[in-house]
Amino acid sequence: MIIRRSEEQPRWTLLRRFPVPRGFHAASRSRVQAGREWPAPEGAGNVKRMQVYRYDPEGDERPRVDTFHVDLDECGPMLLDALIKIKNQIDPTLTFRRSCREGVCGSCAMNINGTNWLACTRALDELDDPVTVYPLNNLDVIKDLVGDQSHAFAQYAAIRPWLRASPPPKDRERLQSPEQRRELDGYYECILCFCCTSGCPSHWWNGDRFLGPAVLLQAWRWLADSRDEATGERLDELEDPFRLYRCHTILNCTRTCPKGLNPGKAIAEIKRKLLERQG
Amino acid sequence: MAGSDDRAVLRRARGLGSAKSGVRHWWWQRVTAVALVPLTVWMLVLLLATAGEGRRALMVWLGNPAVSVLTVMFVVMMAWHMVLGLTVIAEDYLHHEGVKFAAITLIQVGGVIVGVAGVISVLWLALGGTQ
Amino acid sequence: MTERTRPRSPHVQIYRPQLTSVLSFTHRLSGIALSVGGVILVVWLLLAAAGGSAFGGLNAALGSWFGRLLLFLWTFALFFHLCNGIRHLFWDAVLGFELANIYRSGWLVVVASTVLTVLTWVIAMSMPGVA
Ligand code: SF4
Ligand code: SF4
Ligand code: FES
Repeated sequence: MIIRRSEEQPRWTLLRRFPVPRGFHAASRSRVQAGREWPAPEGAGNVKRMQVYRYDPEGDERPRVDTFHVDLDECGPMLLDALIKIKNQIDPTLTFRRSCREGVCGSCAMNINGTNWLACTRALDELDDPVTVYPLNNLDVIKDLVGDQSHAFAQYAAIRPWLRASPPPKDRERLQSPEQRRELDGYYECILCFCCTSGCPSHWWNGDRFLGPAVLLQAWRWLADSRDEATGERLDELEDPFRLYRCHTILNCTRTCPKGLNPGKAIAEIKRKLLERQG
Repeated sequence: MAGSDDRAVLRRARGLGSAKSGVRHWWWQRVTAVALVPLTVWMLVLLLATAGEGRRALMVWLGNPAVSVLTVMFVVMMAWHMVLGLTVIAEDYLHHEGVKFAAITLIQVGGVIVGVAGVISVLWLALGGTQ
Repeated sequence: MTERTRPRSPHVQIYRPQLTSVLSFTHRLSGIALSVGGVILVVWLLLAAAGGSAFGGLNAALGSWFGRLLLFLWTFALFFHLCNGIRHLFWDAVLGFELANIYRSGWLVVVASTVLTVLTWVIAMSMPGVA
C-alpha cells in the first residue's frame, strides 16, 4: 500500500505494535498498568472508546491507561475536542497541552493510535476504535499527556537557530531573490511539534546526543538560507557521529510530520554538504 | 530557578561538543556499498557455478586471474563493509563506554582476520592449493 | 519540594510499525545475518584451501536440510540488503524522498528481493552437482 501524504492513515496493519514485551526497555517506574474504566453516559448512541495514558505526579502510582467512553454525537469532530470533552465532563484532572486548535502552535502533539500527530487536526472518524492516546514518545512525563521537552528545546538552542551574519550596510536590508527564498520552502513551515523526533527510533536509543529530525531540519533551514554567513561553523558543529550520523534514514520522521515536511530529506542535504566540502 | 535549570539542560544538550568527524566513516560505508553491488552479483555467480562441484572446480575457476582478483576484491570489500556496519550497530545499542569500546575493538580485529584469511585462502586456491 | 523520578513515555513498546521502520529494521537484521554468513564463507574458503577432510564436512553440513534452510535465508538476506542498499544510495544522492516514492521503492525492494531469491534457488537446484 502506497502512502502519498503523511496525513493518510494505513487501511490495514499487520501489527499494531512491535512484538516486544510491554515492559521492554522501560524502567520499572515507566511500566504502564491497566487503569480505570469510565463508562458512557446513559443513552449515549455513538460511543468511541479512548484509551488514554495517565500519570499523576502526586501519587505513588505508576502510569496507567484509562478507558473513556465518549459519545461522539455530543462531541466536536477532532480528537482534541474529545479530550476537551473528557476534561470538561468526565475527569477534570486529565492534563494535556493545546492552544491554537488549528495545527499551527504544535502544542497538542501526541501519540495517537501508535503514530505521532496533532490532536487538533486528527478527525475522530478517521481513528479506529479503540483510540489509543499516549504522550509523545521517550519524554519524561510531567503529567498525563504532558511530556518534558526541555532537552528537545535545548538541542534546538544548541544549533543556535538564528541568522548569523555580519551587520548589513546601514541603508540597506538583506535582500533575497525569489529563488533564494524558495530554498527555504518545506523547512521554514516547521512548528517544532517534535512529532518527528519523538517517532525516530534512533532518537529513542541515543537522544541524549543525536539531535533528531526536528532540530536537524532546522539546522538545514539555516544552512539553506542565502543570508546566513556561518555555513562552515554550522557544518563543523554538526559533523559528529552522534549529533548527525545517528540518522540511518529510517524515515519515520517524514512519515509522521503533521505539516507534511521532510526532515529525512533535510538530513540527506546536510550529509551531502558535508561530503561536498571534503574535496 | 528556571534560569539555572535551563543552563544545566543546555549544557547537557551541548555535551562534549562536536567530534568534527563522521563524514569519512559514512563515505567509506557508501564506497564499499557501491563496490559490493557488482561484486556480490559476481560472487553469487561463482558460488552457483561451483555449487556442489567440490574443491577441484573451485580451484579451476580461481586459477583464472580475473576470477581470483574479483574474488579477492569481494572479500576485502565485504570485510570492510561489515566492520563499518557492525560498528554503527554497536554504537547505537551499547551505552556502557567500556563494553562499547571492547565490542568495537573486537569487530575491527575480527574484520581484519576475516579479510586476511579470505584473501590468503583465495590466493592459495588460485595458485594450486594444498596438494 | 522533593520530586520522584518521572516515568519515561513509551516508545518502541507502542509505536506502530510502518514500512519505513520495518524495512530499516530488516536492513539491519539482514546485515547482521550476512556478517555471520560472511564469516562462514571465509571459513569455507579457508577449509577448501587447507585441503583436509573438514571441507567435505562443512559442505555436508551446508547440504543438509538445515544447512539449506540457512543458505536460503542468507540468500534472501543478501538480496534484501543489496536491493535496500541501492535504495539507500539513491537517498544519499537526495533522490526519491517524496513519501509516495519512499513507499513505492520500499515495496519494490520487498518484491524484488523475494523474486531474486526464488530465482537463484531455482538455478541452484538445477545445477548438475546439486541434487
Ligand atoms: S518537522 Fe514536522 S514533525 Fe518535525 S517538528 Fe517540524 S513540524 Fe513537527
Ligand atoms: S530518517 Fe533519520 S531522523 Fe528521520 S526517523 Fe530516521 S533516523 Fe530518525
Ligand atoms: S493546538 Fe496548536 S497544533 Fe494543535
